[in-house]
Amino acid sequence: MVQNNFSRFRGANKYILDDELAEIVNVSMALEMPLLLKGEPGTGKTMLAYAIAESLGMPLIILNVKSSMKLVDALYQYDTLTRLNDSRFSDSSREVSNIEEYIKMGKIGQAFVSDVKTVLLIDEIDKADTDFQDDMLDVLDQMEFDIMEVDKTISAKNRPVIIITSNAKKDLSDPFLGRCNFHHIAFPGEETMRKIIGVHFPDLKKEIMDACVKNFYGLRKLEGIEKKPATRELINWIRALKADPDFKLSLLEQGNVPYLGVLYKKSPDMKLVGNAISRSRR
Amino acid sequence: MFVSFFYSLRDRGIPVTPTSFLRLQQAMRLGAIRSLNNFYVVARALLVKSERYFDIYDQIFAHHFEGVELPDPDEIELNEMTKLLLDEWLKNPEAVADALGVKEEDLQKLTPEELEQYFLDRIKDQTEAHQGGKKWIGTGGTSPVGHSGFHPGGMRVGGVSHNKSATKVALDRRYRDYSQEGPLTQSQMGEALKKLRRMVPAGPMDMVNVDKTIYKTMKNAGDVEIIFDRRLADRLKVILLIDNGGWSMDPYIPMVQTLFNYARNQFKDLKTYFFHNTIYDRVWADAARYRNSEMITDFIKKDPDTRIVIVGDASMAPYELMYEGGSIYFGEKKRKPSIETLQFLAQTFHHCVWLNPNSKRAWEHTWTTDVIRKVFPMFELTLDGLDGAVSHLMSKN
Repeated sequence: MVQNNFSRFRGANKYILDDELAEIVNVSMALEMPLLLKGEPGTGKTMLAYAIAESLGMPLIILNVKSSMKLVDALYQYDTLTRLNDSRFSDSSREVSNIEEYIKMGKIGQAFVSDVKTVLLIDEIDKADTDFQDDMLDVLDQMEFDIMEVDKTISAKNRPVIIITSNAKKDLSDPFLGRCNFHHIAFPGEETMRKIIGVHFPDLKKEIMDACVKNFYGLRKLEGIEKKPATRELINWIRALKADPDFKLSLLEQGNVPYLGVLYKKSPDMKLVGNAISRSRR
Repeated sequence: MFVSFFYSLRDRGIPVTPTSFLRLQQAMRLGAIRSLNNFYVVARALLVKSERYFDIYDQIFAHHFEGVELPDPDEIELNEMTKLLLDEWLKNPEAVADALGVKEEDLQKLTPEELEQYFLDRIKDQTEAHQGGKKWIGTGGTSPVGHSGFHPGGMRVGGVSHNKSATKVALDRRYRDYSQEGPLTQSQMGEALKKLRRMVPAGPMDMVNVDKTIYKTMKNAGDVEIIFDRRLADRLKVILLIDNGGWSMDPYIPMVQTLFNYARNQFKDLKTYFFHNTIYDRVWADAARYRNSEMITDFIKKDPDTRIVIVGDASMAPYELMYEGGSIYFGEKKRKPSIETLQFLAQTFHHCVWLNPNSKRAWEHTWTTDVIRKVFPMFELTLDGLDGAVSHLMSKN
């Protein structure tokens, strides 16, 4: 029975999944509820959707939410301008009197009309205003929406797997939260981080890995940093170190941190960290 | 056993809804939960909707499931649960029906009494059916992680520890970060604030102006010419100044939290500052009033159209307001009395209001309130007061 639906998702090629999250993803898929992910930037919220799509072999549709976005933009678009243009020049193959030819599906619309089950990633939902969020959940709850211009209802052929991410800038509304499952992805601990690095750099020497991870977590502990370096920065940093022919392990062990700019993106942060490092070396 | 778990969560202030509880039952029916470890994770994802509560959840979970003999839920709890479920049903029948796995229409045919009985039976059902769960709690050894996996301090999220001893004030600084504390659902407040908007054209010219397009096209004798406009967007700037210190504000914390939460959702361009009792030379951007301060005199650089909303009880010792060096904190060198700073704000910005959580009747009894009232239009922090404040902020003078 339904049992078969379970435990299908076990992680993907380049994604280290903890058991807890896997469980939650599977339950959400079984209950057919959207999964809301919160967490620090760089904890892999967005990557999770890629990983699910990859491991289940489903196409991934990404809706990048913008602050100015209206719900209708995510559902469909009625291309009035092209129609006007066609009616004027009549050199296209489209039939001007048929409005449906000028309806283009938005991201949610695409997920609904797709012939196969898709993974729908709604990225950074917190950017949009509350009305957008609530209205969207209505659509996702009912799995259908109307196209006003042609008086047609689009219902989902397959219920997509819905992943929603939020950077927790704002709290989401209660009705919204009520309709989602929730998970907060904590920043990975050293153990997990080693695994993640291992996946990205299979041939990295253990000493370098140790030194990098140790340095990295040391740097994260510094107080007053505006944007702490995350997984993405660490991976880029290691990449930079590997690419540098002059890099020696002893440098790191002495407390030197080359390529600070890869880890820190804001100038006050850079200054603060630079000071802290030179102090600790003395 | 799960019913009492549900109640423990509610009692400790985690806003769990009956619908989500039923969803949890549904997940069990589907066979999603095979071990205590599983249950821990799934229940959290379904019931707890903010990482703020994860810590409490862990504590309750550990307390609840750590090998204790679990009593059957008593009648009162079941009745309570039924009541809650009825409430939920009235609000959102579809969701409840869905969670119970029955058709909404079937439930609608029932009389209220029948419905109540039905819910009660269903809840009993659920709890009895899952009494079996006791067993897998007992044989915890088979679960891969075991109880020890859930220690109360299990997961810690966010949270910055403030080093209190570092503060230089002589008095104990009791701060509250209004943004961090629990959720509030007084949606009327949001409704009242919604009127506070200023729509101005902004962004790229990407909206077709139909009227102008038709007009131009007619003028061109039918040759289509499309006219674009900028979209209207809310560009209202709001500065919220909150009194978050002192015992006198403590009773109003929930109310101010509500205001703060809604303001944060509502306004694109909102800056919040904190002060204690009254405003001297500077205000603080962090709730602890310690790290991030801004000089009031720098406010003159801001757009004079900015709306200033001050929240505070305006009651303090008169000298705090009137005298030089009136600040109750050490090391805060003062040049001018606070009242002048307030006057400066009122003159710089055309639209200022003071929201006072104290009721209007009390205002006259506090001397400082009366003085501040003469500087800023003062409104009660109630729905009516808020309405008045909003219309004052939107007036065109």
